[in-house]
Amino acid sequence: MGEVEIANEELLRHFGPLSYEEIGYLLNKMTLLLDKRGMNITIRKKVYAVMVESLENIYKHQDHIDNDKVYLPKFTLSIDTQFISMFVSNSIFNHKVSLLKSKLDKVNSLDKEGLKDLYKNTILSGNVSPKGGAGLGIINIAKVSENKITYTFAPVNEKYSYFTINIQIDHKQPK
Amino acid sequence: MDSLNIEPTEFTPRINFDPENNIFEISGFSRPENVIGFYRPILKWLDEFSDTVLSKNVDFNKSLLTINLKMTYFNSASSKFLLDILLEFMKYHSRGNEVQINWHYEEGDDEIQESGEEISDMLGYPFNFIPYQT
Repeated sequence: MGEVEIANEELLRHFGPLSYEEIGYLLNKMTLLLDKRGMNITIRKKVYAVMVESLENIYKHQDHIDNDKVYLPKFTLSIDTQFISMFVSNSIFNHKVSLLKSKLDKVNSLDKEGLKDLYKNTILSGNVSPKGGAGLGIINIAKVSENKITYTFAPVNEKYSYFTINIQIDHKQPK
Repeated sequence: MDSLNIEPTEFTPRINFDPENNIFEISGFSRPENVIGFYRPILKWLDEFSDTVLSKNVDFNKSLLTINLKMTYFNSASSKFLLDILLEFMKYHSRGNEVQINWHYEEGDDEIQESGEEISDMLGYPFNFIPYQT
């Protein structure tokens, strides 16, 4: 009998509140894991950038649900023969959903050049909010991953939804 | 004017601004928890520095300003501030100072190289791209 190829291997998982230091810990762990697998510097930097932007989005923009133990921040990193995949989830106010959805649809409608232009226009015109976001995170995720971002908003109650994005990075692409 | 030296941390880059020799270096990693708190004092220093530069700008002796950027990673919020810092230097350029921007990147690190190309494009000003090996 031949060896069975592992279709999808989970490399990293986090569930629970996310501190700035915890983000750093996850980033260091990911770097070591991908380094061990001989991933080149460009792939490692792409995964790094997507992880930073998506986890910092949780850190800066999540809307906590009081006394909740179910809809806490969640992150998984997995790999198959073609893609490195990340699922990132957090709770969010329902009234923020439509704006976020329109931002995601916008970046998904653009090609690489379109994303570069959007990034350029946003950075040159936008102000950095008090939370430190410059409206650039989602654009950067799409630009760096070179793939469409898939997403879901699962309703929690009349006030909150649980937001999940999935980002894929092709680790077999020719340079 | 005093130089500006900030030691790097796990989340913030090294800053060495040497006004005596007109060499300005930012290197390392940038993902500050408080991005405004980290970069605003640097922009303030540059704002004050402009008086020093401009007062020296007599017709025959306008200084060359050399900027060395050697970033290993910066998040999108930091990119906004790196751009703002370089826009400050562009002001000196428009007053007649020569400005040289060197973008150092690890050989093979396409992400950092491309980020430099994009910032150069946003400024409308050419960078020198200098690969290094680790």
